[in-house]
Amino acid sequence: MTLQELLADWLPDQRWFAGKGRAIDEVIVESDTELRSGEPALRHLIIAVRQGGTIERYQVLLGCRSGLPDKLKHAEIGWVANGDGCAYDAAHDPALTTAILDGIAADAHIGDLTFHHVPGAVITSGLHSLVIGAEQSNTSLVFGEAYVCKLFRRLAPGPNPDLELNVALAREGSGHIAAPYGWIQGTVDGEPTTLAVLSRYLRTATDGWTLAATSVRDLYAQEGVRAADAGGDFAGEAGRLGRATAEVHRDLANALGTVDLPVDGVREMADGMRERLKEAVNEVAELGAYAEPIDAAYDALSQVDAPLTAQRVHGDFHLGQVVRTDQRWVILDFEGEPARPLAERRAPTTPLRDIAGMLRSFEYAARYQLVGRPDEADLEPRAADWAKRNREAFCAGYAYGGGLNPYDHQVVLRALEYDKAVYEVMYEARNRPTWLQIPLNSLSKLQ
Amino acid sequence: MNDIQPIPDTFTHEKPRDPHWYKRAVFYEVLVRGFYDSNGDGTGDLRGLIEKLDYLQWLDIDCLWLLPLYESPLRDGGYDIADFMKVLPEFGTIGDFVELVDQAHERGMRVIADLVMNHTSDQHPWFHASREDPDGPYGDFYVWSDDTDRYQDARIIFVDTEQSNWTYDEVRGQYYWHRFFSHQPDLNYENPKVQEAMLEVLRFWLDLGIDGFRMDAIPYLYEREGTNCENLKETHEFLKRVRAEVDRLYPDRVLLAEANQWPTDVVEYFGDPETGGNECHMAFHFPLMPRIFMAVRREQRYPISEILAQTPDIPKNCQWGIFLRNHDELTLEMVTDEERDYMYSEYAKDPRMKANIGIRRRLAPLLDNDRDQLELFTAMLLSLPGSPVLYYGDEIGMGDNIWLGDRDAVRTPMQWSPDRNAGFSKVDPARLYLPAIMDPIYGFQALNVEAEMNDSGSFLNWTRKMIQIRKGHPVFGLGTYQELHASNPSVLAFVREYGDDRILCVNNLSRFPQPVELDLRRFQDVTPIETMGGVSFPAIGELPYLLTLPGHGFYWFQLPPVEQES
Repeated sequence: MTLQELLADWLPDQRWFAGKGRAIDEVIVESDTELRSGEPALRHLIIAVRQGGTIERYQVLLGCRSGLPDKLKHAEIGWVANGDGCAYDAAHDPALTTAILDGIAADAHIGDLTFHHVPGAVITSGLHSLVIGAEQSNTSLVFGEAYVCKLFRRLAPGPNPDLELNVALAREGSGHIAAPYGWIQGTVDGEPTTLAVLSRYLRTATDGWTLAATSVRDLYAQEGVRAADAGGDFAGEAGRLGRATAEVHRDLANALGTVDLPVDGVREMADGMRERLKEAVNEVAELGAYAEPIDAAYDALSQVDAPLTAQRVHGDFHLGQVVRTDQRWVILDFEGEPARPLAERRAPTTPLRDIAGMLRSFEYAARYQLVGRPDEADLEPRAADWAKRNREAFCAGYAYGGGLNPYDHQVVLRALEYDKAVYEVMYEARNRPTWLQIPLNSLSKLQ
Repeated sequence: MNDIQPIPDTFTHEKPRDPHWYKRAVFYEVLVRGFYDSNGDGTGDLRGLIEKLDYLQWLDIDCLWLLPLYESPLRDGGYDIADFMKVLPEFGTIGDFVELVDQAHERGMRVIADLVMNHTSDQHPWFHASREDPDGPYGDFYVWSDDTDRYQDARIIFVDTEQSNWTYDEVRGQYYWHRFFSHQPDLNYENPKVQEAMLEVLRFWLDLGIDGFRMDAIPYLYEREGTNCENLKETHEFLKRVRAEVDRLYPDRVLLAEANQWPTDVVEYFGDPETGGNECHMAFHFPLMPRIFMAVRREQRYPISEILAQTPDIPKNCQWGIFLRNHDELTLEMVTDEERDYMYSEYAKDPRMKANIGIRRRLAPLLDNDRDQLELFTAMLLSLPGSPVLYYGDEIGMGDNIWLGDRDAVRTPMQWSPDRNAGFSKVDPARLYLPAIMDPIYGFQALNVEAEMNDSGSFLNWTRKMIQIRKGHPVFGLGTYQELHASNPSVLAFVREYGDDRILCVNNLSRFPQPVELDLRRFQDVTPIETMGGVSFPAIGELPYLLTLPGHGFYWFQLPPVEQES
């Protein structure tokens, strides 16, 4: 089989492949750069996959060997007909991934690919790599215990907002990011595009969702204890997270500036929210019970008579995007909402949007462990108690960290939060009906 | 007392001298008053302690730490010393002390004792002389002033009982300076004669064979206007002088600093890292202990990870002393207000348990007498970086008596047997210095050394086994510490390394069973061996290493070197 045919067979089994379940009409190799020759050889491919009318682009590190050792069998793509040997996913081959570190350390220029290191970063090459986790659209390689390289699999043309914001934050001296060390750039669909980002590996970090889950589990294991009195109380961490968030917002504003979001723009925002509400109420009848207060909140937003300050923000902020290291909270993945077009993800908006995202995340963390429990309804008041306590701690921490005080912007914040909740209701009704009760229960408490 | 000779150096015969013995030692804090009463007067004494040395040797203790045993009016548990060169009569004589050191050394154990450098009792002859004769030889032995205006930036430590650091003395007609109780005047270290006198005290006890001192309240030796009068450079200079004297004459003795400060400040008491340390050999790591309690309560590792990440490296010949409980309260001075409120609400629901800014409870009652937690805490004490200090009675899970005043709640008689007075004394129970514990859970009828020695599953036998494992692996005292990436925030996993001696410790801080995936790539191909039972676990591969732990469970794995195939 040709390489193209082999790839067409192999792609549907990859977690990051977005076109599962639809036939692949064609695989086109748009760029093919040899990074290392000999045995084993390494080629960098950008491929375009045509499925009906859509074309998606993907990045593949292609290894070639005359024979595949057992430990690489799981990465096999297949034997190429032209005698190149056995092709496999080289992300799993530490003997080849060293090319990434070497290239970034040397600011290499190979074919159309340019490797860059962040000024001042010293890269130790020669570290053994390991693929960690399974992500939706990336593959992450950990080098030794020092670096993690995020290889974007599904490529969106243009600069990567995560790299852009991390570099800007690093310049501001932010301690709440995983320091960026370098990146790889290529051309996709005629546009300079970030293909991979190398940053500091946070060895001892745990994500906020898991940590909050530990607290919630502890709460429900003890009858009759208030969240404030529970041993696993999370408020201290929530407060520190609020503070870290405020500091990151401040650094982003300093680095990339602020603009005014005019009153008209705010009104348009409210109109959009109303439309989404209408659609959701039509689809999910249970939401109707809350439509009135939600509408009132949107009306209040329409009447805001002063422009909002807008700036670059995280854009998809929730407990799963933050990690606790042994020193502090660190914020990851400044990509914005993955489903939105790049221009929208990079547009300045009010930082209250991130706060609203995190508040929703507290609502979810408090309740998801109750799904399917027979005593779900009995425990709901305790879930609400946990959520309230940690929401307040987060907002207090945010204000303490020098950000705008969330309590002074209730109208905007409330509307943003409702908008997210409405989206959640739709999402759960469509994809995860057993979880629908989470946003609905939360809405019953927000009024 | 002319017949008292310095004891011979018994460590040269079977046990070679090791100038850094304290880095590997397991310490045991003994309350002489509460350990064993040899003469039936209701109070423990040095001869009684000698009778119980076999027990401590059986437990595999390396070094005893004695609370103050000097002549004292005992208004502050002996920390108010009235004569540095005399033993408190109810404890025995100088001769008894020499016998104790001698007998301990024969069993391969060392003895250190508390020494208060900062102040004396107001009953000390130096103070009498100083107040009565301002121009005499002791006139400048204390810090005197006509008014109370000086050193206003120094905080008051015992806020419950003292309004000022100055107290007026009717006899001399001046105010004297005291950082602690008003009956404990501070010595004036500006006076070279005070420095000489205190060096003389140190030499006196070192000549008698004592293996070192735990130096009480050392941050406060000097005062300087415009400072908080703590950790001054003059204090450090004097400590360097003390250390030089010890190194010159007594090379394998140890100075242990009690400086209740944040680790970044405490490291100053080790002295210059270039020299390997030229002040104190050891210092207590105070904030670690409340963080351990907090981490288990929160079911997540960050309280511990955070404080260890903030702990600076120490000079190569130095060591931390770590503990779960000691004779003082759980010390909360160094935690933030938020954390202090939290510790209060969690561990001291009864307001009687509060004293000053601390808590008076023993380990077992603090942990609701939960065996799993007792084992987890003890395992962490024995495996985190530092030399562990056990508090007498905690090895059998003794209880406390919160109805006793001040710090006495945790100073009740050691429970040796179910006999009268817990086997501690033959005296009429009414004449005991403090009543033995008799409640249904912790009472001596059920909970005592004799019963636990005979029960192979007892906490005492378990603790002894853990100490033995620790002593089989010098890495616990000498090795590096590195926290590992654990996928589960309820699990604290770390590796200690000292050459080929490598130990992996995995602790589940949660009451629930937990899985954890550990990043052990660095140890690929190693076969971990669990140290309690010697069972080999699956070899470490490239992928994350999966373990499951029961609630509050822990593992210590040895990571032996990979044998090279020839």
